[in-house]
Amino acid sequence: MNLNHFIQRAVADFRQNLPMQLMTTVVVCLSILIFTFFSFIYYNLQRTVERFGSELGLVVFLKTDIQESKIPILHQKLLNLPGIENVKYVSSEEAFERLGTYFEDAKGLLEGVDQHFLPASFELRINRAIFNLERIHALAVELEKWNEVAQVQYGKSWVDRLSAFVAVGEKVIWVSAVLLLATAAFVVSNTIKLAIYARQEEVSIMRLVGATNGFIQGPFLLEALFQGLVGSLLSIGLVFLCYSYFKGIVAQTELMRGVELIFLPPSYVISIVASSVVFCVCWTFLAIRRFLLV
Amino acid sequence: MLRTMKGPIISLRGITKQYPPDIIALSDIDLSIEKGEFVFLTGPSGSGKSTLLKLLSCMERPTSGELSLDDFDLTNLSASQVPYVRRKVGVIFQDFKLITTKTVFENVALSLEVIGLSSEQISKRVRDILELMGLASKTDRYPPQLSGGEQQRVAIARAVVNRPSIILADEPTGNLDRGMTNEVMALVEELNAEGATVIFATHDESLFAHTYRRVLTIHEGRLRA
Repeated sequence: MNLNHFIQRAVADFRQNLPMQLMTTVVVCLSILIFTFFSFIYYNLQRTVERFGSELGLVVFLKTDIQESKIPILHQKLLNLPGIENVKYVSSEEAFERLGTYFEDAKGLLEGVDQHFLPASFELRINRAIFNLERIHALAVELEKWNEVAQVQYGKSWVDRLSAFVAVGEKVIWVSAVLLLATAAFVVSNTIKLAIYARQEEVSIMRLVGATNGFIQGPFLLEALFQGLVGSLLSIGLVFLCYSYFKGIVAQTELMRGVELIFLPPSYVISIVASSVVFCVCWTFLAIRRFLLV
Repeated sequence: MLRTMKGPIISLRGITKQYPPDIIALSDIDLSIEKGEFVFLTGPSGSGKSTLLKLLSCMERPTSGELSLDDFDLTNLSASQVPYVRRKVGVIFQDFKLITTKTVFENVALSLEVIGLSSEQISKRVRDILELMGLASKTDRYPPQLSGGEQQRVAIARAVVNRPSIILADEPTGNLDRGMTNEVMALVEELNAEGATVIFATHDESLFAHTYRRVLTIHEGRLRA
């Protein structure tokens, strides 16, 4: 009995039991669809939070009595910190100029104001790849301990809220993911079991005419492989269609400006397809095994 | 386990089959059947005929005793050897046991597919046997589209297409009218004439009333001479 023969029998069986086969494939597809869609949302949420977090710059305000000679030393010291991509010095004059640009339509407001009343500062740009919200916070706390530093700003309250949201979100996401996976596994496994029960007599007749377990299992496992593969690919295709549709809408929404939807990376897609196939094949193997015990 | 010594093709020594908790289906059965013999097995319903055939086709295992079939010692047979025993035994059932989603051709071909014949060999042998059974024009029909007699002939074709050395017929004419019964009997006798050993279970006394063949009677799980 070679693979070609197995494939021929699997194709014939699939054709002969088409309604049941299609039902199983649709159930697999819907179960995986829920999980894939959920993964897609989670992935994008995670990426968006990471992106916003890493785009936060730090502004290190210096004390007003700092000596000019210390500026280059501090500049270098900040540049040497791990994860810092760029450090820009903003003198008090430059800060005043920026303020002037900001109040361009009401220049009179700044008339007579001392050009040195704003503190000099360093603007730090951090490496997105290695910085997360916790590390930004830790860095800010560390920098505030320096003698030359008056204050460090990085949108702390925003970061704190975002961190809290991410922490709660992660817990909710993991619990939901487990429940979703359990539901999908339950539905798919019972559908496979029902499909095999429906062909119980066929299996017993095959045994009676001298079929080995491998001969009986082969086509069933190939059919399960097909159901897992087609079901998962269909679900991923549907999520991709949703992604393509919503991508344009999100880009045009004022509220979501700056947020870019990203489709699941190939590693996710491969994992979902492989898990679906492995699950269907393993469960079919277990379900049919009970009819093969002598 | 393979046996190498010569002897009867079927041998039972002190075979007992008990179902839980304490239902004794067969009790201390001693029986020898020679190669090429045609044996009728009779007895009332529930007497143990089907249980005996189930033991011979490895659908059940004896509780105690020794049982051998062709070269196989069924008492100590491993699970992996069961399919190979079944290939030596063609079983015909009263309820046909055909796969309703497969065509007549596919049902019969199943017995040859399991032994790994090529598609060409399978096609030739299936068409030959269906021709012999008078079913050549019905190869693409599904079992529910056939009459009872035709379905039984398909079941017989499936049982004998791989040329088994033993044929076990469990009330094969139970659901058939007289004409169909005679037809099936003629087919089984023809297979026996070609060398197959046949055990034919029936409670239709008319089938063996005037026969010269051996008739075994089972009553309440015991074999009567």
